[in-house]
Amino acid sequence: MGGQSAKPHTALLWTIITSVVVVGLIVVFPLALALPGMHLLTLSRWQFAITVCFHILFPSITVGTSILLCVLYGMYWKTQRPVYLQMFRFWRRIFAVGFAIGVVAGIVLVFEFGVLWGVFATKAGPIMGPLLGMEVVTAFFVEAGFIGILLYGDGRVRPRTMFAATVMVSIGTILSSTWILANNSWMQTPSGFAVRDGRFVPVNWLHVIFSPSFIWRWPHMLNAVLISASFFVAGIGAWYLVKGRALPFARYSVSIGLGMAAILVPLQIFLGDNVAFNVLPRQPAKLAALEGNWASPNTGYVIFAIPDQQAEHNIVQLSIPCLASAIAEDLSCKSPNPPLDAIPKQDRPLMTPVYWGFRTMWYGSMLMFGTLFYATILRFRRRLWTARRFHKFLVWLAPLGILAILGGWVTAETGRQPWVVYGYLRTSAAVSHLAPAQLVFSVIGFCLMYAVMLGAYIGYIVHTVRIGPERDRPDAAGQPRPEQPDQSRPALRKVPAPGTIAPGMASPEMASGEVGA
Amino acid sequence: MAFVWFVLILLCVLMYVVLDGYDLGIGIATLFERDARRRHEMLELVAVAWDGNETWLVLAGVALWAGFPLAFGTILPHAFLPLIVMLFALIVRGVSVEMVSQRPSAPGWEKAFGIGSLIAALAQGVVASTLAAHLTIIGGAYDGSAFGEMSWYSVLTALAVAASYLALGYAYTKWKATGELRAEAGRRGAPAAAAAMVLGAACLGAVNATAAPLNLAAPVRAGGFAYLMAVAVAGAAVAWVTLKPASRYDALPMCGLAITVVATFLAVVVARSPVLVPPGLTVYNAASPGGTFDFIAVGIGLNVPLVLFYNWYAHYAFHGKEDSGAGPAQSAIPPVQGAQPGPVSPSQEAS
Repeated sequence: MGGQSAKPHTALLWTIITSVVVVGLIVVFPLALALPGMHLLTLSRWQFAITVCFHILFPSITVGTSILLCVLYGMYWKTQRPVYLQMFRFWRRIFAVGFAIGVVAGIVLVFEFGVLWGVFATKAGPIMGPLLGMEVVTAFFVEAGFIGILLYGDGRVRPRTMFAATVMVSIGTILSSTWILANNSWMQTPSGFAVRDGRFVPVNWLHVIFSPSFIWRWPHMLNAVLISASFFVAGIGAWYLVKGRALPFARYSVSIGLGMAAILVPLQIFLGDNVAFNVLPRQPAKLAALEGNWASPNTGYVIFAIPDQQAEHNIVQLSIPCLASAIAEDLSCKSPNPPLDAIPKQDRPLMTPVYWGFRTMWYGSMLMFGTLFYATILRFRRRLWTARRFHKFLVWLAPLGILAILGGWVTAETGRQPWVVYGYLRTSAAVSHLAPAQLVFSVIGFCLMYAVMLGAYIGYIVHTVRIGPERDRPDAAGQPRPEQPDQSRPALRKVPAPGTIAPGMASPEMASGEVGA
Repeated sequence: MAFVWFVLILLCVLMYVVLDGYDLGIGIATLFERDARRRHEMLELVAVAWDGNETWLVLAGVALWAGFPLAFGTILPHAFLPLIVMLFALIVRGVSVEMVSQRPSAPGWEKAFGIGSLIAALAQGVVASTLAAHLTIIGGAYDGSAFGEMSWYSVLTALAVAASYLALGYAYTKWKATGELRAEAGRRGAPAAAAAMVLGAACLGAVNATAAPLNLAAPVRAGGFAYLMAVAVAGAAVAWVTLKPASRYDALPMCGLAITVVATFLAVVVARSPVLVPPGLTVYNAASPGGTFDFIAVGIGLNVPLVLFYNWYAHYAFHGKEDSGAGPAQSAIPPVQGAQPGPVSPSQEAS
């Protein structure tokens, strides 16, 4: 297993391993040297930032993939076409390990709220605790109860049970993100509470859950994880198109991925716009920081900046004149970009992570939009399956959605600083009274462990992709045959000529090229 | 209301200790298993259930946070080091179990799974010992030294917890497995159970030397404690007798040990209530305001039966002996035969 296609792809594997090592050295090493001199607050923030960033990578893949798995199993159940079962089994491999890492990395976060932010846990516990509790009982247990069947039930339980379990798991993942967003949105725009004896006491639970920012941030995030999974699936599918392997599988994957993204990305731009116009007026410091503007009279839109927090200016700045004014619906070039120096110094977030987090998301979304626009043109011209350079490009875009989500969360969380509950509880007042030495241990530990886990997961994905979906065909060696096996499988190894097979209408049986190892 | 909630948290902790106890125990047992095929069978037992079992830990944590924020915000920093080590170990373990299931052969991950399980069990034992150590709260926040909470008592509780989990693991394996694996689980399970009993008794005996001595002054407490200990001993005796490979009551060892664990745990609670952590943190002064309890009683409390159902269903879907093919109607698992060159992944085997 795995040997037959090892050679051409070893380079890719090594590139990824090297890049993980290099990133590890760039991030972990200086951190390890700098750690002993840092304050407790800084260390706690770094640890939380590292663990929360690591965690969000996995839901970015698995929430969308779980829905894909539902669709695929449902389609297989209904049509009995082998390609759907093949896709289900292949994507389940990627999903399974990502889900496991996401779960354990999520457990870490729950405990960190108490370990690192003990004072915050005590003060905000009456509100945060119940919301997370709802997540555990309505989402975690649903996922956990059915994930075993989803992963190992194929062939052991009835198809109906399999399908139900798959649906339940994806409902669980959606509910989980719902409660997390309710929780985080309350921290961004707290409402429905009173402060008594220094504690946040719930007054109106509906206002707590549906805080002003939740209404827009929740669909924004849900849409985001669907988009990131779409690009991920399309990117890996495109790799098989480039290699000319498992073509029906590859085409369906690219089709589903691009098709979903083509609907969701424009919607996402609309939702993101609404998030900005609903959340940012409540958090002017975040708005100023993400626009990258320090001083008042600038009406230009800053497209590139290297901010210097101490000197309160940008070391390098590139801006488009008058665009900020135009965005504020003033074409006369008079409305200025909101400046960060209007915010008192002690209430300012760090501009660099907020600005660049936002740019990653925003530029990423533009790149996605452009790509999808081009893909749609290719599709209407019936050239989607022959555009080899575009396929290669798609492979590179596989992690783009995940990066955009990471950027968005960096903006949301660093932009909320120096508050943990915006306007009410400062992060510096929320931290546990630990010894910095303890945190040096845990920060280095998490860095190393997560670098290894991330490397292992990427390595696992590369390994799984290299082996390919051929082994997951229902009629491959050792697999039971489907009820109505299709006999006609002419081997068409080459990419078909333009127009012979309309996009999305390619019958997997007709175009099947590869038989399992 | 606070007390009712405390009982719910106890339920979560006990569910966790019994359920994740057996799967951590199976993890530890893989370290002693030389035969790759049997090791893999054991891993499969864990693979289908660990996620649900571990979720009880999260629910226990979050229920503690919702109901007793002061306890959550001070006990967790108090137990900082063992908790972090436990989290590291649980990460390694959760990832490695999926890696082993998804890949045809991954000896490194198998090793990591075993070691991760062992460290997680030991770390949980140390966490338990910190609950018997003096907790200083100043101005509503935890205040203490980095290593002060760990002592000789931590070593004792760590070993006791690891041995109990190992015994639970063997008992569960005997229940779910057939043939050689079942017999071996019985053979090895008995000494593990004996060790767990001795260490557990030692922990109880030594607890009066810690900051949290047992309070048996009131007759109700003393009576309850004695009754629960009697139940614990009875459960242990049942497990001891039925663990032997010759005994055909394969479900009884697990039930017996589960009863012992639950009874011992409750006995300690009876002797300590309402103190959560000595000296001053109690069920009453750590509780959330009423508005929180109204919400969690409905939102979380009413969901608990459903949660129990999911957890039961996850086990039910794979009920019966693991490799006998006696599962649900359409079981297509071929019995594992010597012809297989290496460990077999559950997914391959299942399909």
